[in-house]
Amino acid sequence: MAGVVKTTTGLTGLAVAKRPHHTLGVLYSKILRTLQKMPESAAYRKHTEEIIKERSQILKANSNVEAVEKQIGCGQIEEVIVQAENELILARKMLNWKPWEPLLKQAPLNQWSWPPAQPQAK
Amino acid sequence: MSLLRQLLHRNVGVRTLNNSVCRNKVRFLTTAAPEVTRETRRKKLIRVDKKEKYPVVSSDECFALLYTFKRTLELRYIQLHPAPGSTVRKSDEVARGQLKDFGKYVAECLPKYVQTVQITAGDEIEILITPEGVLPVLQFLKDHHSAQFSNLIDIAGMDVPSRPYRFEIIYNLLSLRFNSRIRVKTYTDELTPVESCNDIYKAANWYEREIWDMYGVFFSNHPDLRRILTDYGFEGHPFRKDFPLSGYVEVRYDDEKKRVVLEPLELAQEFRRFELSAPWEQFPNFRNAHPAAETVETEEKGKK
Repeated sequence: MAGVVKTTTGLTGLAVAKRPHHTLGVLYSKILRTLQKMPESAAYRKHTEEIIKERSQILKANSNVEAVEKQIGCGQIEEVIVQAENELILARKMLNWKPWEPLLKQAPLNQWSWPPAQPQAK
Repeated sequence: MSLLRQLLHRNVGVRTLNNSVCRNKVRFLTTAAPEVTRETRRKKLIRVDKKEKYPVVSSDECFALLYTFKRTLELRYIQLHPAPGSTVRKSDEVARGQLKDFGKYVAECLPKYVQTVQITAGDEIEILITPEGVLPVLQFLKDHHSAQFSNLIDIAGMDVPSRPYRFEIIYNLLSLRFNSRIRVKTYTDELTPVESCNDIYKAANWYEREIWDMYGVFFSNHPDLRRILTDYGFEGHPFRKDFPLSGYVEVRYDDEKKRVVLEPLELAQEFRRFELSAPWEQFPNFRNAHPAAETVETEEKGKK
């Protein structure tokens, strides 16, 4: 907070974060811990870890909130916090769903073919 | 011309006499004009459809062929590219590439649920999933950092009675963050319930009621699954293909009883045999039209 104190985010229902660095740091470490319970080969884990690590590096490198926002480039810091919260919820649910497993079942033949008058051989 | 334009718009291959194309003064451009040597020409001619006796060529080759053979051949399956300045919508290759990449990304992250990823209408991405995957896929698309499809625009239904799972449920999502849309499709039949996504998107509440009302698809764990559009005491699901156009009951004012009565449908007209179908088929090209969607190759398929 360089001189000017931010009073509003301009978005309804989204309050100004008081300690964004602390909140984000906690959230990111929680996400990473959740991701570590997934198998190494899971694509979801790989991609999410990449995103989270990149963001937490930016967070650590800059103490200025505006610089962080600019480098992450995904809205205000409050929005970034919301995104991290969502990702944490998602990651925890993913542990139950296990989406990295192979496909449950193929669609029946011609289920997705269109027009239906012309069945496509697969 | 208008038919041609329609075909252009849908990017459908047509069987056409090239002379007629030229007469209408529609100019076409090739994306790539490969040099046609004598040998390739011969190769093309080998692949002549035996019944039709026309050379079968792919999109990029056809214009080169057209050039070489001085527009004397009748070619099949021409992929038409609109000329610059034409009013036909051009396909944005960059946007398409991005959509394809995102589709691959989703399929890679959720291989358990994603059956197919496809692009329709040039620039609309569709994720086709198993019915079990409704909640995980929607939650992923809503909450993942690089998706953020936080708005549920609509849930639609579709009834194709000839399929083993006759109903399709279609979720249209919007990401305000990335200014993009996505469509998630799944399938079910009359008896199999679909998970309600009311916990993920609050907007789903009424949309799912609407699907229930119109198609009779049951959503499990929905907090308040009632009819929403039809009248009190209505029976049946009007958007099913086997629901009669006239319905089952009719409402009229009864002068003796001095009130409105609801009665089983009785058509006042005498039975007449309406012959509505023409002796010829109106849209024969419909049967051998090009597929409406372009499938995106995902990694799973690449392995196989």
